[in-house]
Amino acid sequence: MDPTAMAWLGAGIGAGLAVLGAGIGIGRLAGPAMEGTARQPEAGGDIRTSMIIAAALIEGAAFFGLIICFFLQGKGA
Amino acid sequence: MVLIACVAVLPLTALAGASPFAAAGDDEELDAVHHIADGYYLDFSPIPKIELPRIFLIRDSAGKLKLDFFGSTKRAVASGRYDVIFEDAAHSAAAEDHADDEASHDDGDHSDETVEQDDGHAEDDHAEDGQAAAGAGGHNSPLDGKLVPKDGELVIDFSITRHLVFVWIVAALMIWLFVGLARRYRRGVGRETAPRGMLQNSMEALITYVRDEIARPNIGAKADRYVPFLLTLWFFILFANLIGLLPLSVTSTANITITGVLAIFTFVVVQMSGTKDYWGHIFWPPGIPIFVKPILVPIEFLGIFIKPFVLAVRLFANMTAGHLVLLSLLGLGFTLKSVYGTGGGYAGASAGVLFALFIYLIEVLVAFLQAYIFVMLSALYIGAALEEHDHHHGDDHAHDEIPQIA
Repeated sequence: MDPTAMAWLGAGIGAGLAVLGAGIGIGRLAGPAMEGTARQPEAGGDIRTSMIIAAALIEGAAFFGLIICFFLQGKGA
Repeated sequence: MVLIACVAVLPLTALAGASPFAAAGDDEELDAVHHIADGYYLDFSPIPKIELPRIFLIRDSAGKLKLDFFGSTKRAVASGRYDVIFEDAAHSAAAEDHADDEASHDDGDHSDETVEQDDGHAEDDHAEDGQAAAGAGGHNSPLDGKLVPKDGELVIDFSITRHLVFVWIVAALMIWLFVGLARRYRRGVGRETAPRGMLQNSMEALITYVRDEIARPNIGAKADRYVPFLLTLWFFILFANLIGLLPLSVTSTANITITGVLAIFTFVVVQMSGTKDYWGHIFWPPGIPIFVKPILVPIEFLGIFIKPFVLAVRLFANMTAGHLVLLSLLGLGFTLKSVYGTGGGYAGASAGVLFALFIYLIEVLVAFLQAYIFVMLSALYIGAALEEHDHHHGDDHAHDEIPQIA
C-alpha cells in the first residue's frame, strides 16, 4: 500500500478513535454531573467547576491523539 | 466541542490539501495549516506582507561565532550567504519552477497556466523594486523555506517570528493596561472609593474572580503569594487568545513553544513551592505496600514533567484546532465549488460562513475557558505542592486530595 494512503488512513482512524475515547469520557462525566446538580442544585457551582477541570483533562488526552493524527495527515499531503 | 468539530473537519482539510486548493495556484491563502503556523512575516492582507528581521548566530568555516542580522528574509537571501531549503521535494521543485518563471517570464509546462500568470502579474505589481516573485509569499517563497548558511553552520536562529511579535503586543498591552490600573489603585480609586470606569470595573471583576474562585480555594492559606503569578498567566493567555480572534492578527498561543514556556513557568513555580510532604509523596509514597513503590515512584516522578507538558499541549491544541476548524469551514465554499461548480460554491460558502460564525462564538468561549483551565490547573498543582499533612503514618493513608491525573 502507498505510504501516503497509509498515513491518511491512519490519521482518519486515529482521529476517530481519539474522539471516541474523549466522547465516552466526557459523556460519562457530564451525565452524573447533571444528575448530581439535579439532586442538589445548591452544589451546582462546585460540580460544574470540577466537571470542567475533568473535561479539560480528558480533552488534553484526546488532543494528544489528534495532534499525532494531524501530523500524519501532513505527511500524507 | 471544538474537539468534535475538529474531527468533523479533518477529512475536509485533507481534501483541501489534496486537489482543489493546491490546484488553485495561490494555495497560500487557502491552506489552513499554513495560515496558523508561525512565519517570518506579518500578513495584513490587502497590503503586502511585512517581513520580519532575521537574526542568525552562525559558526563559520573558521570556527568563529558570528551574529548575522538582516532586515528581512528577502535581504538575507539577497546577501547570497544563505541557501533556501524547502522541507519537501515538491516545494523545492515548485520553487525552481518559480525561479525559472522569474528569469524568462514564460510559463512553460505549467498545467494551470492562467492562474500562474495572474499570480505573476499581481506579484510584479507590488514588488516593483526588482525583487519579483520571490518575496511576495506563497509556498514557493523563501519565507516558507529554511535558511541555511552557505559557509559554516547555523548555531541558533534568533529570527523574529509573527507569533513572537504578537507575544510582544500582548505584553505591551498588559503593561499599558495594568500599570495604569495599578496607579489608580495607588491613588486610592478602587480602595477607598468604588472603582471607576468600565475598564477598572471589568478588570477588577476578573482579578477578584481569579483570586477568590481560582487561587484561594485551590491553594489555601498561602494563596495570595501566588495570585500575581496566576493573574499574569490568566491575562496573558486570555488576551493572546482574544487578540487571535481579531481579523489580521495571529494567535500566539497556537504555538507550542509559547505555551511550553508558560508551562515551564508553572513547572518552576510548582517545584519551588514543593514542601517536604510533596517530595515525600513522590519519592516515598506513604501507606502503600513496599513492593508497589518501585512501580509508583517512577510514575509519580514522570508525573512532575507530564503535568506541565499536557498543560502546554492542551492550550496549543485547543487554539490550533479551533482556528483550523474556522478556516476549513470558510474553505467549504471553495471545496464545493471545485466539486459541484458555481452553485455548489454559493451553497458551500453560505453554509460555511454560518458554521464559521457558530464556531467563532464557541472560540470566544474557548478563549476564556482555556485561560481558566490553564490557571485553574496551575493553581491545583501549586496547591498540591504546598499541602502539608498531619500524617498518621502506619495506617492507610487515604490519598484523597487532588487526583493525580496528568
